[in-house]
Amino acid sequence: MNNDLLKQQIIEALNLEDLTPADIRDDEPLFGEGLGLDSIDALELFVLLDKQYGIKLQNKEEGKQVFRSVNTMAAYIEEHRTK
Amino acid sequence: MKIVVTGAGIVSSLGFGKEVTLQALLDERSGISVPEILGTAHTEHPVGEVKMTTSALAEYARVHAGESVSRTSLLGLCAAREALQQADIADVSEVAFVNGTTVGGMDYTEQHWLDKEQYAQAITALHTAGASTEHIARHIGQFAYTATISTACSSALNAVIAACNMLRTSRCKQALVGGAECLSLFHFNGFRSLQILATEPCRPFSANRQGLNLGEGAAYLVIETEESALQRNVPILAYIAGYGNACDAFHQTASSENGEGAYLAMKQALAMANLSPADIDYINAHGTGTPNNDASESAAMLRLFADQMPAFSSTKAFTGHTTSAAGSIELVISLLALQHAFLPANLNWQEPMPEAVMPNLHTQRAELSHVLCNSFGFGGNDSSLILSKHAHSLSEQTEPVDYAVVADVEVDAEADYKQYISPLQARRLSPTLRRLVIAAYKALEQAHCNQVDAVITGTDLGCICYSVTLLNQLTQEGEDALKPSLFMQSTHNTPSSLIAILMHNNGYNCTYSHGKDSYEHAMKDAQTQIQLGNIQSALVLGFEELDETWQQLETSVGKGHAMAARATIITKR
Repeated sequence: MNNDLLKQQIIEALNLEDLTPADIRDDEPLFGEGLGLDSIDALELFVLLDKQYGIKLQNKEEGKQVFRSVNTMAAYIEEHRTK
Repeated sequence: MKIVVTGAGIVSSLGFGKEVTLQALLDERSGISVPEILGTAHTEHPVGEVKMTTSALAEYARVHAGESVSRTSLLGLCAAREALQQADIADVSEVAFVNGTTVGGMDYTEQHWLDKEQYAQAITALHTAGASTEHIARHIGQFAYTATISTACSSALNAVIAACNMLRTSRCKQALVGGAECLSLFHFNGFRSLQILATEPCRPFSANRQGLNLGEGAAYLVIETEESALQRNVPILAYIAGYGNACDAFHQTASSENGEGAYLAMKQALAMANLSPADIDYINAHGTGTPNNDASESAAMLRLFADQMPAFSSTKAFTGHTTSAAGSIELVISLLALQHAFLPANLNWQEPMPEAVMPNLHTQRAELSHVLCNSFGFGGNDSSLILSKHAHSLSEQTEPVDYAVVADVEVDAEADYKQYISPLQARRLSPTLRRLVIAAYKALEQAHCNQVDAVITGTDLGCICYSVTLLNQLTQEGEDALKPSLFMQSTHNTPSSLIAILMHNNGYNCTYSHGKDSYEHAMKDAQTQIQLGNIQSALVLGFEELDETWQQLETSVGKGHAMAARATIITKR
């Protein structure tokens, strides 16, 4: 799993037009203190996983675990991707 | 002066009319079912659906078979006729019609979107919120005045409030008020993308609640001055004792933890009615059944009522969440409770919430004097209204007041937005919304002020760019393709609540959507609010964005819109 590709997909999905992949650290929390995303961004990440990797997360709780950082997302995608 | 209710009409998944609705409430019979008419593949989400196809509904509503119609207008027409009939009004030439809707003709638009060029005439004639109002009006008669309010799920209650203010400033003597909304695949899947639809009948205020069930329907009330009702010799059903409108100013789709907007709206309603918390006998809560709403609303009720918490329930487990119609549907339910002396049940409840507030679980007899009805919307457009069995005097203001326009800014480029908001704040804003943000801040600068008392917007098409993208996603890629961040900003009240959120403005907040009159209606509301002494200043926004696809549709039938991002500040002179 290429973290930079994933970061680029996150930037596009969330319309973070002023950020580049270099601005997002691999282990930085995406929500709250870190990048400062909110619950709607989390829903967009659900859509991203489904569209790009064929992964359907069950619920928001599962999302919370997966979306902790770019690293945790990448690891989850690696293990569960269907495309 | 006193404002009285003299007529009411209702249609929902419980059935057509007050009698059927009353019986369902007394029998604890819910209208929640599997979606059959909507045409969704996602039948795992129950809905409150009116079990009649749109063409059957058209026949029932006596609308000509060849006429293009939206389901919203048909539902509205049924309820409006019932209300006017009860109030014994045949001639509406002296009646103001203030309607609330957001979905409007979206059902027709989405069904014909793939062949939109062929249906351009009907789509552009039916789609908007204002078009729904005019369509209902056309089948009833020539009203003295028509206006449409679109504050998402609080639209109908805000329509009642707006008309009350018109009565108090002698702009009319009688009004037909309420809202209508049909189920559409557009907002059903939009709510799905926000992951707030339950896969079971909703359980408001239960710790194990999963989310909401969408519903459809319409309800209207006839309100008028007591003088007018006495003159006409019609029975008075109830009095409007007080109301409040405040903005949560927290998030487009989430309510704040302490329920600030809800708290302020209920508090204003009590103060206006000159009542104390102990005087309220029943609250018809907004109670959608989402984890967020019910926690936030409970927090707000506890803040205001503390250890004097009245009996309360959410009737959305009966009707589903009828979105823009919810305010008037639940107001008619509150009226029935008041008239027939009962507390409506809060169905499907199972476990106490950590907030430790317990709804009224079963329909039971109770003499009620004062009933408070809550209605909240996306963007934190929160409103509350108190119906009373007893006469209540409200202040009136018939003397004209002098206004001054202290700022008027139009912006036609969005490049400067970073001077005012961060890229993170701007990440979901369309170019025209960015212009509006610039206009609003520039208007404050021009007026040399940091804050205003109210934010009121006029917009005909609302956030049409996001709506078109979502329509394309829905019709080309399917029901699972809708982007939640676009849906959350597709309601007409997005501009008004966005500015309130950015400016931390908890004041009066409203959005008018009635064709080319939208901005004028917003301006008139600001003047009415100033005249009544509710506010000293208002930021009035004019918002119109252009979408290429929509423009082509309009051009093909000789219509058109101009882009607008305008911010005006008016104050009492």
